Parts: sequence; structure tokens; C-alpha cells
Amino acid sequence: MSQSSQPVLVLDGLKKSFGAFTAVHDVSLSVPRGSVYGFLGPNGAGKTTTIRMALSIYQPTAGRVTVLGQPSALLVRDRIGYLPEEKGLYKKMRACDIIAYFASLKGMPSAAARKRALELLDKYGLGEFATRKCEALSKGMGQKVQVLASIAHHPEFVILDEPFSGLDPVNQQVLEDLIEDLKREGTTIVFSTHIMEHAERLCDRLVLIARGRAVFDGTVAEARRTIPRRIVIRTPVDPGRLRGMPGVTGLTALGGDRHEVTLADDGDADAILAACFRDGIPLVGFDRSEPTLRDVFLRLVGAEQAAEEVA
Amino acid sequence: MRNAWLVACREFAENVHTKGFWLGIAMVPLLLVLGFSAQRLLESSTPSRAFVVVDPADVYGDAIDAAVERLHQREVLKAFGEYFSRHAVRGKTVPAADLEATPAVDVEKVLQEFSDTNPAALEAFVNAGGLAVAMAKVNGLIAPDAPPFVQPRKLFVRVDLPAGIDPEAGPAAVADALRPWLRGEQKVEIDGRPTDLFAAVIVPEDIADHVSRPGGVPRVPEPGESVQYWAANLADTDLRTEIERAINDQQRRAEYVAKGMDAAAVQAVQRTSVPVVKLDPRKASGREQVSLADQLRQWAPVGFVYLLWTSIFAVASLLLNNTIEEKSNRLVEVLLSSVTPGELMFGKLLGIAAVGLTMILAWIAGMVGMLWWNAGPQAEQARSLLDVVTRSGLLPAFVGYFILGYLLYGSLFLALGSVCNTLKEAQNMMQPVMLVMIVPLLTMMFIPKDPNGTLARVMSWIPIYTPFVMMNRAAASPPPWEIVGTTLLLLAAVAVTLCLAGRIFATGILRTGQPPRLVELWQWLVRGA
Repeated sequence: MSQSSQPVLVLDGLKKSFGAFTAVHDVSLSVPRGSVYGFLGPNGAGKTTTIRMALSIYQPTAGRVTVLGQPSALLVRDRIGYLPEEKGLYKKMRACDIIAYFASLKGMPSAAARKRALELLDKYGLGEFATRKCEALSKGMGQKVQVLASIAHHPEFVILDEPFSGLDPVNQQVLEDLIEDLKREGTTIVFSTHIMEHAERLCDRLVLIARGRAVFDGTVAEARRTIPRRIVIRTPVDPGRLRGMPGVTGLTALGGDRHEVTLADDGDADAILAACFRDGIPLVGFDRSEPTLRDVFLRLVGAEQAAEEVA
Repeated sequence: MRNAWLVACREFAENVHTKGFWLGIAMVPLLLVLGFSAQRLLESSTPSRAFVVVDPADVYGDAIDAAVERLHQREVLKAFGEYFSRHAVRGKTVPAADLEATPAVDVEKVLQEFSDTNPAALEAFVNAGGLAVAMAKVNGLIAPDAPPFVQPRKLFVRVDLPAGIDPEAGPAAVADALRPWLRGEQKVEIDGRPTDLFAAVIVPEDIADHVSRPGGVPRVPEPGESVQYWAANLADTDLRTEIERAINDQQRRAEYVAKGMDAAAVQAVQRTSVPVVKLDPRKASGREQVSLADQLRQWAPVGFVYLLWTSIFAVASLLLNNTIEEKSNRLVEVLLSSVTPGELMFGKLLGIAAVGLTMILAWIAGMVGMLWWNAGPQAEQARSLLDVVTRSGLLPAFVGYFILGYLLYGSLFLALGSVCNTLKEAQNMMQPVMLVMIVPLLTMMFIPKDPNGTLARVMSWIPIYTPFVMMNRAAASPPPWEIVGTTLLLLAAVAVTLCLAGRIFATGILRTGQPPRLVELWQWLVRGA
């Protein structure tokens, strides 16, 4: 396999137990080079533990990790950038120094690291805080500094654990832009979040982790396809005759004038609309919104939880 | 290795930018200045103290006056000696033409004449004519730009009995009448300035009947049968000691005369003294006399032990604190995605060692500088101390024991910091450690008295105490095999501690939640993971 097509991160049957408690059961996935890959899941699902194993901060109880072709992230640590879930900085250090310090720990020459730190701070709107001590920065600014510290050494693979938590909408947008910038430069990015909107906008692929298991792994489109497509129509009459149409797999009354029409994969929403007009079904509303990742999330995580409860 | 170096540089830079570091550096010179000037400050800030003597039969009055004057003359001689040693023009030769006018004088000899305040020297000073004559003698030997000599203030001044008190009313009545003055409610005057009455000496008229003599029936005398010394200040005993001695000297003189001896002969006999010289068998023959420097050399290690203890724990605590900082805000995760735990630990040890070494080197430079510069009033002590510090091999021992002690305690503290999440947890775990650590401070003052005794020798072989105890014994030339043996043992202990601390650190640093139980710690040590 050539260097460019080799996956950046491969997890194979990864398992991690802390004493009697198993945080991660059998997670396998593969992150293609140049992709933005989302780790999604509720709190406590095992995202952070999986990331720590990927970085060799934890040794897995079972399974195998391959990072940039190597069996341990420690061997290629200079090519990886990492933002941990819990954010913290040296309070007494200046913002530019801390970025330069982490970059130089990753092998950048000190002078270049310092120059890069100032450039990054300028580029992402923190230029005037470059020489401020970290204890004087707001929480959001501190978090941005930390993100910059994790990417300052031009890593080819970046892992961001909950990068959006604690940021206001403006700074969330700055961070999204930053991730887009990295992607354009060819960086492979893994980030974890429980906010589906970010994942929806940014991710090429995603894995959904619940209770320590990967319950879904694929593209965003594939994720959407895991739940049937549906249309919600509002009509004062009974739309029962839509039931026999090709591509319609079900019709459910939701109460009031709302009815849900579920479609097969090849079902055509336009045909339903046309049929309503043709058959004289008066429409008050016609909602053909695609299922969101949030729906997927709720459905898959909910199913997992239900399964857990039965078991 | 580059990473450990970067970690070390960061630790060093962060710590030398703190106020605490600079305060620490200023501490030693500051303490020395304080030590040297405290005595002077104390003397110049203590007011002249007034006392009264009620002695209607006039038995001891003159003797007390003479004793107080003698005390004052001693202070004058001391101050004059210091003044002269500071302002004398050394190496000055008197031109031959003047030799007839002024007797040939050797400055060093004159210096020596005024350098001691022992009874014989004081006697000579007073008998020669006191300050006036001494001044004349050194007249040409003092630098022209020297300030004039200022006589020290009299420490004790005898004042008249306040008006209205009848000295013949009897000890109890006089004491009662003097109470308001002794309690500070009423003031007496010295040179027109109101001041508290410091003490009252009341001699009963019939004191001669109560002198205790051999062969008498031993019994505790009633206050009315004794010379009464009244004073509200119980701490300052100088005056009481002086008066007690003067009274007894006077009484014995009277007894001699009563037994038919010649008064002048008794006086002469009382002034005789036999010199006692302190000698040290370890010193080269012909130079065995114990000097001030020798005594300082004996005690200087105590100062070094204290500095060693303070610096090791101040610096090792830095390691504990910043390990907990990195752990509690999870910086350590970022660090460990860049460096190995071993590199991190080594870098921290190295960086903080540099902080510590900078501090103690600054202390040493400050100390030597202060002593060298302080040619003032305490010149003699300062010069001797400087000599002891720079020539006795204490300094290299201090630096060596600092490094080894620091590595031992530093790695322990790092391991401790790595298993705690908050400073509070660390403090709880520190308590037993502190109990063990305090021991060398407790034994610090005893060891110089018996530097090669059992306690000192046993403690020397316990690695956690080796640096302090061996430093403590440094001046007493412990047997070379003990120095080599304890150092080897200490080195081995440092190596083992570093290795075990490294294992705990590597596991503990990423752990969150409760600090590990002892069983778990043991497992980490054994498994090394």
C-alpha cells in the first residue's frame, strides 16, 4: 500500500478495562488519510479512553493500534498533534511561550517554534494576547491557545478531544474554520464531540460510540441512511391511500393532523407530493427534512441503551 | 534527551521568574546583615537604665559604683577597639624625625592591645588612664577622614533616691515607697530626661549580721536578712550579676582585713589571674592554640546543615507543586503525547536542580561577599568566618551533599506529587514524611558536641539523613572510610530511589481519582508499570 493511501489510524479490536470495569469493548476502525473523522457518543461512552489508547497514553487491555504505520503513537509523536479533553495551561507562562514550548517538544527548532506561535496567535485573533500570561486569559482564549499549541508543529495527524466544549458560538466558528484550514492543508483530523451539528458540518466519516462499543462507522450519508427516510405531512383528511404507493413503506398517524410517511431508500418525496395534489389530499404542511445526525444518534444510542437494559 | 533538556529549561525559566526565588536568594545575605547588626542595634536601642541603691550604713555603695563603672569601661574599650581597628592606618611607619617626639609604635601591636576585653586588658586600659590616654596613643594612627570616636552610652546609671523617701525607714518601708517607680507609674530622671526606674538595691542596715559563714547553721535567709534586688525586668540579669559580684568581693575584702591582712595586699591578690588557654591536639604542633576561627569552624557546619535542609526542601517542594499543577490541569496528557514519563521526570529534576544550584551559589556568593565587605564593627568575626567558610572544605561538601540530598528527596517528592491530584492530598501524605524529615534539624545542635559519637555515626549510615549528619560532622574530620562508605551508600540509595520513583511516576502521573493505596503502590513498584 502506498504511503498516501495507507490509513492514518487503524484500531483493531481495542479493549480497555480498569479493574472490573470495561470502558471500551472491541472497537475497530480505520481513519483514511486526509479525512476529518468524528468520534461521536454520549458522555462516558469511551471516546476519550479510545483516544488515549490511540495515542499510547493508555495501553489497551486487548487489541492493536497502528498510527501512521507504526504500532505505537510514541514512535511518531512528533507527527501527531493532540488536544486533551480537560484543558489546562501553565498559568504563569505567556501564551506565545507555551505554544512555542509544546511545538519545540515536538521537535521544532526553538526560533521557528516561536515565530510560528506568534503567526498562529495573529491568524486566529489572539495577537494582542501573545505576551499575556495564561492566567490572564479567559477560558475560551485559553482553550484556543491550547488548540494552537497542538497544531503548531505542522502535524500530519491531529486528534482533538472535545475541542468545541466551553466555546461561545463565535469561537466555535473560528475553530470550525481552523479545522477546515487544516483539512485543506491535507492534515488528517480526528475529533470527538457530542454536539452533532459540528460533526455534520465537518466530518467525512464518523464513528458512533455508545457504552464502549462502536455502534456505527461510516460516512455521514451512510449514517443518515441507517434510519428510514420520512416525510411529515399535515392534512385534515385521512391520507390512507398513500399507503399503496411505490416506495412508501409505512404510514403512521402522529396525532392531530400530522402523519408520518416512511420511504424506502429509492422512495421519491416529489412523487408523494405530486400524489397528494393528484388525489386531492389538502396539505397544510409538507416537511421532507432529511434525518439529522441527531436523529441517528438518538436512535442508535437509544437502541444500544435499550439492548443493554434487556441484557 | 533534547526533550528532557527542554522540560528542564522551562522549569528553570518559570521558577526564576517568581518572587519567591528572588526572596530566597536575598535571604542569606539578609540574615547575615541582620545577625551582624542585631547586636549593635540592640545595644544602641537599649536606653540607659536607672537604678537606686539604698544603703544607709554605706556598706556596699562604693563597691557597686565601681562595678558599674567597670562595666561601662569595658564597653568603652570594646567600642574603642572596634573603632580603632576600622579606622587605623595599617602599616604606617612613624617618620624617624618624630621618633623622639612620639615613641615608636607598631600599629598592629596597638591594635592587639585594644583587641581584647578580658579582665587583664581592661585593667591595663583603665590603669593606663582610660579612653583619654588611649586616644592620645593612637592619635597619629587613625585615618584623617575617620569620624570622631563616640563613647557608648552608659548601660546603667545610678540615680538618687526619689525625694520624700526616707532611706533609713527600713527595707520593707523603702521597698513599699519605691513600688510606684519600679512599676513605671512614676519616673526618675537621667540627665533631665524622665525614665523608668529599672532596679532598686536595698541593703538592710544590719546586713553584717546575716553574712553566711562556714560552720553556721544552713537555712534559707528571710528577704529582710538579705540584700534585696528589686526589678520588674527578669530577663536582663547583667546588673544583678554585676552587683552580686561586687557586693561579695567587697564583703570578702572586708573579711580579709578583719582577719588582720593588709588591705592593699588583699586588693592586689584579688586582681591576680591565671591565664587558661584552649588547645586542640589535632592542630599542628606549635599552633595548637584554639582561635576564634577554630570555634567558628566547629559551629559553622550547623549553619550549613540549616541551609542544606532549607534549600533541599524548598527546592524539592517546587517539584511536588509543579507536578501536581501539571497533573491537576491535565497538562501532563499533552506533555506525555510529546515526551516519555522518564524524560519528563528527568527534565523536571534537572531544571529544578538548576534552580536550586543557582540559589545556593547565590547564597554562597552573597555570604562570602557580605563577609568580605563587612570589615566593620564585627570585623574580627567576619574575617574569621570568611576564612572558615572558604578554606575549610565546607563549601564543596555543602554543594555535594546538596546535589545528592536533592536527588534523593526530589525524586521522592516527584513520586509523591505524581500520585496526588491536589495540593491538599499531597499535604496529607506529606505529614508522615515531615516527621521523618525534621530529625536532622533536631539533632543539628547536639552533633557538634559529640561529632564522632554513636548518634552521629549511626545517623550517618541512614541515607535519608546522610547529607545532613555528615555535613554536621564535617568540621570534626570523621574517619575517611566513613565518608567514603556513607557517600557510596547514599549514591546507591539515590540510584534506587530514582529508579523506583520513576516507576511510580510513570504510572501515577496519568492516574485520576483517589490516590493509590499502599498495596497498589507496591504493585507498581514490583511490576514497573
